Amino acid sequence: MAASTFCPALLPLLRINCKFNGVYTRISLNRRAAYSLGLTASNGVERQGLPERGNQGQRRQRRAVEPRTERMTVDQDWTAVYPTAASFKPNSVPLPVRMGYPVKRGVPPAKKGNLELIKIPNFLHLTPEAIKKHCEALKPFCTEWPAALDSDAKCEEHFPIQVESKAYVSAGPSLRNPNARIITLTVKLSSLNLDEHARKKLIRLSGERYNKDTDTLTITTDSCPMKQQNYDYAMYLLTVLYHESWKTEAWEKEKTRADMEEYVWEDSPSQKNILETLLRMRPLGEKEEEGEVREELLGRVEVQEYKDSVTKLKNEGETETNMQQYKEAVKKLLNI
Amino acid sequence: LIFVSFQTVCRQLNSTLWLNVGGRSIHSSAVCCKNRAARIRVGKGDRPVTYEQALHPHQIAHRKGWLSQHTSNLQGEDGAADRTVEDLFIRRLIYGTFHGCLADELVIKRRGNLLVICALMLQKLPPHKYYFLVGYTEELLSHFYKCPVKMEIQMLEEKSVYKYL
Repeated sequence: MAASTFCPALLPLLRINCKFNGVYTRISLNRRAAYSLGLTASNGVERQGLPERGNQGQRRQRRAVEPRTERMTVDQDWTAVYPTAASFKPNSVPLPVRMGYPVKRGVPPAKKGNLELIKIPNFLHLTPEAIKKHCEALKPFCTEWPAALDSDAKCEEHFPIQVESKAYVSAGPSLRNPNARIITLTVKLSSLNLDEHARKKLIRLSGERYNKDTDTLTITTDSCPMKQQNYDYAMYLLTVLYHESWKTEAWEKEKTRADMEEYVWEDSPSQKNILETLLRMRPLGEKEEEGEVREELLGRVEVQEYKDSVTKLKNEGETETNMQQYKEAVKKLLNI
Repeated sequence: LIFVSFQTVCRQLNSTLWLNVGGRSIHSSAVCCKNRAARIRVGKGDRPVTYEQALHPHQIAHRKGWLSQHTSNLQGEDGAADRTVEDLFIRRLIYGTFHGCLADELVIKRRGNLLVICALMLQKLPPHKYYFLVGYTEELLSHFYKCPVKMEIQMLEEKSVYKYL
């Protein structure tokens, strides 16, 4: 037979030819041979590339290689098996893990071919040994903490302004997160150089941003698109607040009693009332200068005590001690 | 009254019939309130089924894990829709590239920028073809999504059967 001019399409023809010849020779050509005849003279070269089709052809037996776990020693270097984060490989992890809901009267499925074990994140690359190695590798890039800053108070004293910003990491091709532009600046007013008027003005100007309990001013900026711009803006706001609070405008002279932040006893109705009462209590007949009498009365110890108790009551509110103090002061004044 | 209403109904019917030229109208049957998503119904008992197929979707977070992991579904994070679309595309691409070779569903993990595709494969093709296809998908997907793509495949002799339905 002209083997060289053979082609696979003629295979049925071949069978017909055989039959025609009267000898029904069943030529058991496997497909590989048929293809190879078409191209080269076949020497029985085994081609593995063809998908086997059922009964025709011999499937090349792939020897099942034993898993790597069989050859692992107990004291091996695990960081070499899992150097980085990787999915669970049953042939690399020498543990007889089982995962999954068991079938009725059965056990959870084994680790070979178990998708559940692959789904979950594993920390096989983060054993204590591995973390020690990471730390050793990072040490050359670290610097010592300055020895002079060994307490919180010192940190506050040398670095009164604290700036907070957040950086975001997420899974995805983009590393931009719009929330990363927000800057929070906190500073204690006690560390700023302010006099009474400047302090009160600053507190008024900052409004909600000032926390009375902790004496901190918090400025949060997010109006600019970049973090650097927001930081500059926050520093600018702090500078402006500071300088403005030191200035005294012309219209500040019109501050009335209603605008005062805290109660002041001088020129208050309470002072007037007590003075009138004491004046009336004086025995008749003595005609003295009004001014001198007032001065003398105000100078008395009981009046000072009364002044303190009233100021405390008004500023701090009504507490047990305040009320007691007020009671004592009144009793002393009126000689009860 | 009845006559008037019948007339209006006739008119309405006529108008609808006139609109549906050709006589095509909607046919509806009774509603069947059955959930059919991702479920293989119990049959004769001769059909082998993997763990993933046997457990129904309501068992996710009870007896099943998630096939795809990324941070976009957390509170306050963006990009959930983009990641979902990427996942679907990747699944279809790999299903077609490794046709008949996949033993089970793909598991897609994202570690920051890196896209990791974990697949269980059957030994249908010779190893050099697998290497080529893996390299080809990695290259293609990394160029497509502009991020590093890694495929971690594990070979099995046959699909792991959980039960027979």
